[in-house]
Amino acid sequence: MTRTILSIILAPLLAAAVGLLFMGISRKIMARIHWRYGPPLLQPVIDIIRLLTQRGFSHGGMFDLGLVLSLAGAVTVVLFIPFGGWCALCGSGGLLVILYLMLLMPLGIALSGGAGGNPNTSIGISRKLILALGYEVPFLFIVLAVMDHYGTISLARVVELQRESGWALFSWPLCVPGAAYLLILPAVMGTRPFDMAGAPQEISSGPMVEYAGQYLALAHLQHAFAIFVALAMFVNMFLGGAPEPVTFILKMLVVFTGGVLVHASFPRFRVEQAIGYLWRWPTALAFLGLVATVASR
Amino acid sequence: MDRNQISKWLTAPGKMAHKYSLNAVYFCTGCGIIEIPPVITARWDAERFGVIPVATPRQGNLFMITGYVSVKTLKAIIRTYEQMPDPKYTVGFGSCPINGGMYWDSYNTAKHVDKYIPIDGWIAGCMPRPEAVFIGVTHLWTLIDKGMANGYERYRRNYAQYRRNQEMLFGDLGWPPRYPIEDGGSGGGK
Amino acid sequence: MSDALKKGIETTFRNSSVEAPGKDRVMVSVPPESVPTVLHYLREKGFDHLTMVSCVDRPDDGELEMVYILSSYTNDPRLHVTVKARIRREGGGVETVKGVFPNAEPYEREIHELFGADFPGHGRLIPLFLEREYDIPPFRKDFDSRKYVEETFDSIPAVEGD
Repeated sequence: MTRTILSIILAPLLAAAVGLLFMGISRKIMARIHWRYGPPLLQPVIDIIRLLTQRGFSHGGMFDLGLVLSLAGAVTVVLFIPFGGWCALCGSGGLLVILYLMLLMPLGIALSGGAGGNPNTSIGISRKLILALGYEVPFLFIVLAVMDHYGTISLARVVELQRESGWALFSWPLCVPGAAYLLILPAVMGTRPFDMAGAPQEISSGPMVEYAGQYLALAHLQHAFAIFVALAMFVNMFLGGAPEPVTFILKMLVVFTGGVLVHASFPRFRVEQAIGYLWRWPTALAFLGLVATVASR
Repeated sequence: MDRNQISKWLTAPGKMAHKYSLNAVYFCTGCGIIEIPPVITARWDAERFGVIPVATPRQGNLFMITGYVSVKTLKAIIRTYEQMPDPKYTVGFGSCPINGGMYWDSYNTAKHVDKYIPIDGWIAGCMPRPEAVFIGVTHLWTLIDKGMANGYERYRRNYAQYRRNQEMLFGDLGWPPRYPIEDGGSGGGK
Repeated sequence: MSDALKKGIETTFRNSSVEAPGKDRVMVSVPPESVPTVLHYLREKGFDHLTMVSCVDRPDDGELEMVYILSSYTNDPRLHVTVKARIRREGGGVETVKGVFPNAEPYEREIHELFGADFPGHGRLIPLFLEREYDIPPFRKDFDSRKYVEETFDSIPAVEGD
């Protein structure tokens, strides 16, 4: 009982720490790709500390509550994802609950931005939600394939089964949904070429244009959680999880570096190009993977 | 440890974070903005100082007045400055915000920008080279350390005088006072 | 090319005087009433690009000199034709040329605002850059800008107090 409570308290803190570290690593890697030094590795932490000491402006109750809802959704999702042998609430729900709760993150930002009163937020919110619609379809097929192949909705059980039968990414038939997940990973994380929701140059940072001070700190934290969730899901479903957290973080880091290299090389898509891409090859691959999984049962 | 020591120790992370995370509002004032893209891109990398440009004043805490300030731009600068959250720092680039610079006798530029919004530091030059920009940033760090970069506090304290100066220049400003003015003067509250 | 042009203009417009100081410059001085006609004639000759409309203040003669600079997209790009016309300082004006070259509209708006010349037929002479009233248009040479700065900007006191 105490172990559960302790892991419930520690899991979001660890996820935030890992997410912020990865954000710092991404800025450093991008800087080195640009042939320059970058900010220190803990720059996102410094940013958040600075933002927490600033006094932001509120635009009403929904503005505050929407952001809190988004952050709450992010924190709750983290509780259901096994983190290298530790898992806070793995006994209940599993992949279905994660699928539900993952949508709270863009929805909360949408609610809060809608109360902001800035036309840039409306454009950003529409882009964010359209993008969520885009990647949810292949994501659903992928999760269904994994659930069907291993015959369980518990993510911890999926990790256990992979320990015996090898990584799912390199085994038929789950290599096909795995490849599809790799194709939609930038969209789930919100990095280029799919970062049109929060584009500074086009729509003045989209939904985050009215966030000042402490609100922006929460929004950065929510972004850190979103990165963590996207990567942890991939590592758990296709790379066999890990028996202890250090290997887990290392696996996440490898996948994340691939994502950063894509982020550094690609320009930004328009939102209709993003939907056109996400509903074509990744959906086709994911659907074929689902069919292959059902056929090879 | 006395109270002073403890309060210094508690506010040290905030001070450190304010120094090393300066988000500059990308407000391109005058001709001096041509020196900012070299500063923030790969050759003279400003991101290692923690200085990145942001698109919106709500997220920024450094306002760089680069170059001459025409009267039309000054109105936009005041609005943008008032939208930024406290604590915020303003740096005047070049010689034009100091005393008018090259446009000292022009009919349409504001000469001493310090009369309308508070400025924490100036960087001389026309335009300053990127190395001068970095020296200015490190000087701003020293000022933040000593607590002397208090432009935002001066704005709040002397807001009546700033507002009077702004109204002397523009006539009707079109927006209510940012902080309440105690003498019951013009404009609505907030 | 410039000689043929010079002859053509001199024969067509009696009141004009043409100089061709170099092989790439032709300067035509015309009375202000015939400016739209001259520009139309030059456009028919192939000078289809109105590069700029400018104005020079000549306070000693009491006149403003309107300057229209034309060049050509299709012919030799180095040849520029300058059409000059003198108008009175107070109340003088030239009829608008935006029927001949539509891109003259903002230039004429600017010159009206900064020099005080009038352009009958323009229809949209509203302020372009300036936001306040001045006693005389600020680009005139007898506008004392130093005095204006002292009155308007230097009279605003610095902010006192710690």
